[in-house]
Amino acid sequence: MEKKAENRREFIQKSARLSLVLALGGVGGFALTKTTKDEWVWQIDPFKCTQCGRCESDCVLAPSAVKCIHAYDLCGYCDLCGGYFKPDANELSTAGENQLCPTAAIERKFIEEPYFEYIINEDLCIGCAKCVEGCTSFGNGSFHLQIMHNICLNCNECSIARVCPSDAISRVKSNEAYKVKGDFTTNT
Amino acid sequence: MKNRAIIIFLILLAAISVFIIIGDFKSTRPDKQGENPFDLNLDEYKDVAPELIKYKEVKNFKLDIKGLAGISYDNGNLYVAGDSSVQVISLEGQLVNNFPLQDEPYCIVANLVKIYVGNENTVSVYSSDGKLLSTLGPFTENSVITSIDTWEENIFIADAGARKVYRFDSDGNKLGEFEGKTGKDAQHGFIIPSPYFDLAVNTFGDLWIVNPGKHMLENYTFEGSLRSFWKASSIKIDGFSGCCNPAHYAFLPDGSFVTSEKGLVRIKVYKPSGEFDGVVAAPKKFKEEGYAPDIAVDDEGNIYALDFDKKMVRVFELKQTGL
Ligand code: SF4
Ligand code: SF4
Ligand code: SF4
Repeated sequence: MEKKAENRREFIQKSARLSLVLALGGVGGFALTKTTKDEWVWQIDPFKCTQCGRCESDCVLAPSAVKCIHAYDLCGYCDLCGGYFKPDANELSTAGENQLCPTAAIERKFIEEPYFEYIINEDLCIGCAKCVEGCTSFGNGSFHLQIMHNICLNCNECSIARVCPSDAISRVKSNEAYKVKGDFTTNT
Repeated sequence: MKNRAIIIFLILLAAISVFIIIGDFKSTRPDKQGENPFDLNLDEYKDVAPELIKYKEVKNFKLDIKGLAGISYDNGNLYVAGDSSVQVISLEGQLVNNFPLQDEPYCIVANLVKIYVGNENTVSVYSSDGKLLSTLGPFTENSVITSIDTWEENIFIADAGARKVYRFDSDGNKLGEFEGKTGKDAQHGFIIPSPYFDLAVNTFGDLWIVNPGKHMLENYTFEGSLRSFWKASSIKIDGFSGCCNPAHYAFLPDGSFVTSEKGLVRIKVYKPSGEFDGVVAAPKKFKEEGYAPDIAVDDEGNIYALDFDKKMVRVFELKQTGL
């Protein structure tokens, strides 16, 4: 099982990928619009992040420059998505009271019985990591946080990095600005 | 004069101390975070009413084996598969035998004369003393073999990657395969979001297969026709939570189901009808966000949980009523 867990990503990549045509909302956001190639930028390591909530509260920007992104090739396209639904949701519907996200930033789209796709609306996302916690606890961990460099001011000292309890934020060369789980830029 | 200077100095010192203490109190240092308003608090689901816990942990034994993959019980011994070997362990935790494996194991089942080890896309069949007898497969390039069980001359193999169950006879001939029932008015075929796909045959010869994406246990004929099913979908103690549960299960001698869940790690018993019966081990017994233990059950109904995080076998016995 230790092995099985290690191989989870591989498992999903090789077997659970559906032949879906996925809309990739927010890819434009991955442009480095405020930096040049040789600059250093701040980056979240999603494997270290413990979803403490400080990315929402401690960024100098409001809403935060940190957003949730979705690794489609890790996602199980589950009807019962642990990142979308509250643990005690009354039913698996898009009704507001069933949703975990405080800003309704996640769109649930029916693909084919019984698969659903979950798309993050970057404009609504405040980087609170609640969905990331739900997905990590109950799902495959395909939701995760990243600092979006078309929004981020690239502060000399990132005020989130200063308080991050997991040491998950560090400076990296801007040509490696994003550390993403899975391969969210392709969806085939 | 001198006293006055000392007093002023002490007052200043006290003021600075208070300032530092308040500053530290208000600081946002990593270890000084206030309450996270977005915290997904699952604590209420981790607490289980004591009267629901019907088993007690009576012993556990540490395992000296890396890359734990699975556990099985047969004829008085436990069989634990790890990275490169199978350990045969007595119910008291003594190592009885140990033999090497040719491939990386994903699951194991032992029956009277043979030991079946599921690999990525094959099943290796060993004699009880560890001699490789035969190999079933390779299956598909997507295969991940997560469970095996046998009944008389039949071998059933769950392939999480291909989302199929294969049936072989004991000579290694493939008798069939099926993907679960699909259709407008039928249950959906096997939905397997992550590599957890368990099956078992109970002591009455009934084949039950987990449909983890639906939180269902489904009973199939050996040919693959759906006969019945039960479902328990809820984060509450009587249901299965998350996207793919139960991750593992085993049968008690009376046909009750012992289920093990990932996400909110917990072990429970359901009656043969699917009705929730009670708790074996509550989430607080396990590492937070740990792995769902694999389960084996002995002839007396004692439950052996392979705790992947603590690298030990944990033994649970039914509490004596009236004690
Ligand atoms: S501050 Fe660190 S641990 Fe907290 S949500 Fe942000 S990256 Fe994750
Ligand atoms: S739950 Fe929080 S992090 Fe997730 S999409 Fe909503 S606002 Fe963004
Ligand atoms: S560098 Fe500044 S703008 Fe960017 S995430 Fe950190 S605090 Fe926010």
